[in-house]
Amino acid sequence: MAKRPTKMVDDSGAHDLSIDLKPFINFLVVLVPVLMLSAEFAKIAIINLKLPEGRGSSPSIKQTKAPEQDDSDKLLLTMIITDSVVTLGAKGGFLPSMFYKEYHKYVARDDRTVEITVEYDPSNPNKPVINPKTKKPFHITERQEILLYVTDENRNIINCVYTKNGEMVTDVAGNALKEVPKMGDTIFLLTNPRRMVVVTNPSQYILRPLLAYDEMKNRLMKIKQRYPDVADANDIILAAENEVAYDKIVQLMDVARAAEFPNIAISKLRS
Amino acid sequence: MAIQRGRNKYSTPKSAGLIITSLIDFFSIVVIYLMKSYSSEGSILTNADNLVLPNSVATTKPKEIYLQIAATNDMILVDNVPVVPTDDVRRIPLDNPDPIITKLEEKLNAAYAQEQQMVKLGALNKIQGNVIIQMDKNLEFDVLFKIMNTCGKVGYNNMNFAVMEREQ
Repeated sequence: MAKRPTKMVDDSGAHDLSIDLKPFINFLVVLVPVLMLSAEFAKIAIINLKLPEGRGSSPSIKQTKAPEQDDSDKLLLTMIITDSVVTLGAKGGFLPSMFYKEYHKYVARDDRTVEITVEYDPSNPNKPVINPKTKKPFHITERQEILLYVTDENRNIINCVYTKNGEMVTDVAGNALKEVPKMGDTIFLLTNPRRMVVVTNPSQYILRPLLAYDEMKNRLMKIKQRYPDVADANDIILAAENEVAYDKIVQLMDVARAAEFPNIAISKLRS
Repeated sequence: MAIQRGRNKYSTPKSAGLIITSLIDFFSIVVIYLMKSYSSEGSILTNADNLVLPNSVATTKPKEIYLQIAATNDMILVDNVPVVPTDDVRRIPLDNPDPIITKLEEKLNAAYAQEQQMVKLGALNKIQGNVIIQMDKNLEFDVLFKIMNTCGKVGYNNMNFAVMEREQ
C-alpha cells in the first residue's frame, strides 16, 4: 500500500498563525503620549482693541503740536450698549434703539443635565437663580450662555424668519422678515455680502425669536453700505455701561467685525 | 471525549495568550483622533485658571511673547503673580473719568522700565508695548475699562484680548 504523503503544511496549529503584535503595541504606546502633548483641544485667539485717540498715548512720545482733529468727514460710528438697549449713533444723530431681553442659561456644575433658562431682570441684577433640583442658588460661573432677543418698545419679543441653518432672513429693504415667505418670493440671507434667494420651499424657513446679534449685524451692514467712503469707514467705537458683561461685549465685537468694522475702540459712557 | 493534553496531534495550547487585538483597535482610534487635533503652532500663553474666556469667531493667533494680565472674579494677576483683588478695582468710583488701578500701574511701570532697559541695551529695536489680557467672561465692562485705561497710561497701547476660538 502506498504511503500517504506526509503533509508538508502542518495545519494543526491553525490557532497560532496570529502575528506578533507586541512591537506594534510598543509603537502605539509611545505615539499616543507624544501626540497628546501636541494636541490642541481648545484654541485661543486674540482680539486687538484700542482706546480712542487722545487717551492712552505713551508718555514718552512728545508731541510738539496738538494733533488737529479734523472730524468733518468722519462718521464716528458708536455703538452704545446698556443692559436693555443697544443704540447705534454717528456724528449726525442716533438711529432708533434696539431693545432686547436677556435670558441666561445656567447649567449646574455637578450635574450637567440640570439646566434652566431664566429672564434676566436688569433692575434686579443680583437676584439669585435657583437650581430646581437642589433648591440652592446657582453660582455666576455656572452661567453658560447669555441669549439676547430683540423686543419692541412694549417688551414683546419680535419673531423673525430664519433658515434651518440658523441664518437670518431679511426682505429687499434689509428689514427683518416677520412672516414666512411664500413660494417665489425674493429674500435675502444675512451673510456678508447678502445672498439673494428665491424661495422654492417655504418649509425651509421657520419663525424664531430674533437674536439681538443678528439684528445688530443687519443694521451695521446697512450702515456700511450707505457710507462706504468716509475717512473712518472701518472704525467703530463701543461704549458700554459699567455693568455690562464682558461676554456681551466680545460677541458685539464679533458682530462688528463680521459687518466689516475691524477697528474697534472702547470708550466709557459718561453718566 | 475528554480533552487530553499532549496525546493527540491536535493538542490544545498550554496557556492561552493575551488577546490584544481590541487594545490595538482602541489605540488606533485614539491615534487617529489625536492626529486630527494635532497643531504645530503652539501659543505662548499660560492659561490662568478660575477663568472662562468668552467664545468668539476671531482667528488671529498671538505671535510673540506678550506681557500677560489675567483678570478673574477674585484677583488680577500679572504674569501669574497676583497683584490686586478685583473687588478693590470695583471700588474705584464709577464717575472717575480717568480711573487708574495704582498697584497694577506700579507693576506695569516696572515691566515697562525693563523693556526700556532692553531697548537701551540694544536687545529690542523699540518699545513694543504689547500686552495680552485674559478676562473671565462674566466680569463687568467697568473692570475691563479700568484695566485698559491703566495699561494705556503706562504705555502699553497695543492691547490684545484672549478669547476661545469657536467654529463658525
